Amino acid sequence: MKVNENTEQLVSRYLNGECTTEEQKELIAWIGKSSSNQKDFLEIKDTWDSLRNTHDGSDEQLVFFYKNRYAKAKTSKNLWISSLTAVAAVLIIGLLVSTLIPSQSNPKQIGKMQVFSVPLGSRSKVVLADGSIVNLNSGSELQFSSTFSSDNRVVNLTGEAFFSVTTDKQHPFVVKTKDFDVRVTGTKFNVCSYNDNSYSTATLAEGIIDLKMNNSLELVKINPGIKFQLNRKSNEHTLFEADIESEIAWKDDQFIFKNIPFPELAKRLERWYDVKLDYTDKRLQNYNFTGKFKNQETIWQVLDALKLTSPIDYTKKTFRGFTITYKPLSMK
Amino acid sequence: MTEFDQLFRKYHKRLLLYTLKFVDSESDALDIVQNVFVAVWENGKFKQNEDIVRAYLFNSVRNSCLNYLKHQKIVRKFESETSLMFKEIETVHFQSGEKSLIETENLQQINDAINSLPDIYKEVIFLSRFEGLKNSEIAQKLHLPIRTIETRVFRALSSLKEKISQKSFFILLYMTDSNKI
Repeated sequence: MKVNENTEQLVSRYLNGECTTEEQKELIAWIGKSSSNQKDFLEIKDTWDSLRNTHDGSDEQLVFFYKNRYAKAKTSKNLWISSLTAVAAVLIIGLLVSTLIPSQSNPKQIGKMQVFSVPLGSRSKVVLADGSIVNLNSGSELQFSSTFSSDNRVVNLTGEAFFSVTTDKQHPFVVKTKDFDVRVTGTKFNVCSYNDNSYSTATLAEGIIDLKMNNSLELVKINPGIKFQLNRKSNEHTLFEADIESEIAWKDDQFIFKNIPFPELAKRLERWYDVKLDYTDKRLQNYNFTGKFKNQETIWQVLDALKLTSPIDYTKKTFRGFTITYKPLSMK
Repeated sequence: MTEFDQLFRKYHKRLLLYTLKFVDSESDALDIVQNVFVAVWENGKFKQNEDIVRAYLFNSVRNSCLNYLKHQKIVRKFESETSLMFKEIETVHFQSGEKSLIETENLQQINDAINSLPDIYKEVIFLSRFEGLKNSEIAQKLHLPIRTIETRVFRALSSLKEKISQKSFFILLYMTDSNKI
């Protein structure tokens, strides 16, 4: 393709939305000069368009489609509506981040289980048939039987989720995890139980919850503001006062951490941004980190901030992979 | 999963990307795609052979976009005329039967093709298309003049375009060969 450098820059600027009106006119003139110019331009733009990083909301949109169908069908009282009720019962409503649930995995049916999984780098929200709302954090999976209803409120969780459970004293809501079951009647609480974490936790924002560990009969009652933490190795648990705001900030797209060791920070960043952070230097493990990222910063901005304020440096290795190294801050 | 669900999942994202070529507003684009699926549901077209359905979906979406653009012209009288000229050139091009990569290629494969680019190209595509950075921000990040970044973005796209068309060519060769045997 014979395109001079100036035109290359012009096209590139146009695609990125950085062209002035004058430059747009210049580009139009170039396109009008020959049909091959036009073809080149449109093919380059087409390639650019095909790489657009829009979130894949296919499932959300499919549910939306059925919901509208169902609303229409209801008025005409067709027979097939009953089969659609099941589909409409579970609505994914607001999806919070750009990259979303891959279409093949959500919601899918395993036997008679409904599964919602959220990939790394994304967060999502599910409204259950009983009206309870579940916010799911990156890399989490929520499972429940297709018979889930306001009489049968049992879900399985791997990963982290914030539950706002509709009050119903007759029918307790149960969250089952690998380590413990949480039983409530109507509360707001956060459960974090990733398979690769050394701790599993439950933190209560409102109401009261009963927690039963899988390998003992002991029932633990948790009061608002209290965090239950289970060490998965020693199987010992502790209860302590928690900072609710920072615990559940993730559901509002804020990344807040208070006094956490570097390995935990690295793990959380990996899930939040769907990246891989490699580090070998043992000295890194000695540092604790506190911080707030509230404006959906990119991974680059977060790493730059860490680099400026702590003895850390980074290099980009692969497409979504970074190597973190120890580098003492120069004190001047 | 029903036939319709499969079709919806397979083509929803691609149709949305295609719509976004012509329509800037994402929520309007989502509406356009939904309406096309409503039509396909109601007229039962989704039961036909996939090639026919695909062509039908992309044509319907493009026609809806044209109507939308016509309407926008009236609504946004004061919008600069140059930006509309680009849209016009583009719609005429695709109306004449030209196919977009979004229609003919698997999106995953296009994304995979990025990995076969030289690192300096891969980097600018990653930063602009996935991280959403402007050319000027990329220039700052990589400590390079903005013109260098602009040139790289263009060349990265040309090279990607070549690779994608070449790849289909190879597949074609392979198929002809195996037919001989």
